[in-house]
Amino acid sequence: MRLNIIIGGKAGQGINKVSQIVANVLSEFGYFTFNYRDYQSLIRGGHNFNVLSISDTPIESHESKADILVALDDRTIQTHKQALKKNGVTILGDQFKDLGRNLNIALSGALIKILGIPIQELEKEIKSQFKEHTEAIAAAKQGFESQKKISDLKKLDNKISISSGSKAVAEGARNSGLDLYIAYPMTPATNAMHELAKNQIENNLMMFQAESEISAISMSLGASFAGAKTMTGTSGGGFDLMSESLSLQGQSEIPLTVYLASRVGPATGVPTYTAQSDLDIALRAGHGEFPRIVVAPSNPTETIEKTSEALYLAEKFKTLSILLSDKHLAESEFSTTEQPAKTPKFKIDRKVPGQTIIKASSYEVDKFGNSTESYTLTEDNTNKRIDKYKQAKKFIEKNYDMIKIHGDKNSKNLIIGWGSTTGAIKDAIKDLDTKFLQVLYCKPLSPQIKKELQKADKVILVECNVTGQLGRLIREKTGIKIENRLLKYNGRPFHSDELKKYLEEIL
Amino acid sequence: MTNLKTNSEITWCPGCPNHMILEAVKQTITRSKIDQKQFAITTDIGCHAKMFDYLNLSGIYCLHGRAIPTAIGMKLGNPNLKVLAFAGDGAAYAEGIAHFIHAFKYNADMTLILHDNQSFSLTTGQPTPTSQQGYESKASPLGTQDKPFNPIKLALASNATFIARTNAKDIPHMISTFSKAIAHKGFSFVEVIQDCLIFNLDANNKDKLMYKIKDNSDKKIAEKLADQFNYNSKSGKIPLGIIYKSDEKSLAEKWPQLKKLLNSKTNWQQK
Repeated sequence: MRLNIIIGGKAGQGINKVSQIVANVLSEFGYFTFNYRDYQSLIRGGHNFNVLSISDTPIESHESKADILVALDDRTIQTHKQALKKNGVTILGDQFKDLGRNLNIALSGALIKILGIPIQELEKEIKSQFKEHTEAIAAAKQGFESQKKISDLKKLDNKISISSGSKAVAEGARNSGLDLYIAYPMTPATNAMHELAKNQIENNLMMFQAESEISAISMSLGASFAGAKTMTGTSGGGFDLMSESLSLQGQSEIPLTVYLASRVGPATGVPTYTAQSDLDIALRAGHGEFPRIVVAPSNPTETIEKTSEALYLAEKFKTLSILLSDKHLAESEFSTTEQPAKTPKFKIDRKVPGQTIIKASSYEVDKFGNSTESYTLTEDNTNKRIDKYKQAKKFIEKNYDMIKIHGDKNSKNLIIGWGSTTGAIKDAIKDLDTKFLQVLYCKPLSPQIKKELQKADKVILVECNVTGQLGRLIREKTGIKIENRLLKYNGRPFHSDELKKYLEEIL
Repeated sequence: MTNLKTNSEITWCPGCPNHMILEAVKQTITRSKIDQKQFAITTDIGCHAKMFDYLNLSGIYCLHGRAIPTAIGMKLGNPNLKVLAFAGDGAAYAEGIAHFIHAFKYNADMTLILHDNQSFSLTTGQPTPTSQQGYESKASPLGTQDKPFNPIKLALASNATFIARTNAKDIPHMISTFSKAIAHKGFSFVEVIQDCLIFNLDANNKDKLMYKIKDNSDKKIAEKLADQFNYNSKSGKIPLGIIYKSDEKSLAEKWPQLKKLLNSKTNWQQK
């Protein structure tokens, strides 16, 4: 069973409220939801919409065709009428305009009725959200009574939780005992910053907003050197500014984790939309040659796990960990019954100032930590850094999921993808004769990938960028060129039904 | 016992005032009676920054322009550290100017020692934001046409809580000024006027313009003192000493999380 609801209107009309309330009711009722948020770079007006996808089995994507269209303005109808299925239902917000701020509650009531869920489920949700709820419940009833059911959902026995990639970054960081998050606002990394700023005192951590990304990463290195578990985060443009200090991390070996949430570039590009086009800079930004780890989770559960792994590895190998995400993962709301794996716990036990004399430098150094221009030390220290990477690689290969295999494990067809595109691929291949290899660690890259490529008859690369960045990386590491590529680069993630159609044409 | 010496070969030019600044820093730290392990320094990039190799203190030898934010980061990472940042006029006023201004706003309890010789000397003498008009260098053969800006006035406008100026040729005055700066609870900015013996020689020997003032905490007077020297001509007067001092909450006093670490004398890992 799969239903899709488009909820559209102007920014500020509260479309997120409707999708959030309905998603909460559905998850309490045992149904899986996926909420895609499509919004413009403005605060009031324009056209924003959410696609709330519903299923009785796990899903991590939305579809292109809608069963229900909730329109808070005329533009929503004009924009989305093509997407509405033949027998689709339209609910107009206008009919509840007298309800003021309870309009969204009435629309939630209308949706609940159409789906065939008892009104009591919505009342429970309203009571948990609002102290003063008499008017809200009346609005919910008014909405409920305005519609006819088209579906009859039965209560399911799933224990479901809802989260976004941004919330998951914060959760993973807290699980690892993060002390400091130092950042400068930039969509779509900002929500992780907000999550960590919230309740920071109770969580025994601090979120500090610096005057620029250059300052944020410089401060992060200073703080980490001083003995705090530190993380910074940004999007592509801010990451560009941070590049010089990525290189300083390589030389100084001060542990550092950077959260990079991509959006559409180059430059300001399409700032509130999604792209997987920053894998190249995650892998290569910064002058000189130095080790780094790049890990790209695909959903909140993996994000919680990989954030903790990134922090742990940065400290253990005194290296740079880059946690790579994008707008689609950061800001979509996923539902799951899965629990993240146990967090690798750690204490900082390296030498820190205040307790001893310890130096870190942007220069090549001698055994005292002071500058040197010696050719032997330059070569030796370079070898040590490269050796450190080999050790980190070995450790990751032994301890962490570097790839995941989904779909039909015996199929001769192989799809390769990563990050936020994973959800749409997983949902698209449910009835197809194919295996799907999801890459989690982009650096180091799993040796398993080459073996899988060699076993497959037909290989298809799926990414949200124009040059096939993961494909190029795989070719660099394995010598194998993936000929079939499904690349999307209009700022919108794949719909699973759309992707399925494309895959069927190739398979 | 305090031992600040390192094994590194000192590579400043013979006679460079940096030797005297180094000596004054060493004596300030020794006289402070603070355990040398409690100090952490940052240095920028430039001649001044070689200080890093010559001081047996914890610290980070930073990237160009970033000595100030890295030092503030150390105070976020452990507010109990005694942090000194060293920067040059090129580093702090050109590449790192945004950090210089914001440092006064954050008011972290640390000290910035700013070596101003009105020249980018380690890169062979290009003009900096405080070079005088007409300065001819390999990068400015026509003579730089820009008027220098006045960092003391900029600091005042940015709500600095401690601004001082001293002379690299006067070790006792440097020690007394550095000591007061370290004792100040907030961001203390000390400008050290220094000659370069190789580049921008016209800017040298301003000693005859210098005079010592009493510690000042009056903003109006501070503004007048700041106006007495414009970095452009040698006709003004150059006041030395505490040009302005006021009490404001420091970074760690503004953040409950840091205040807790400060009060309990612990770091984040012991929280």
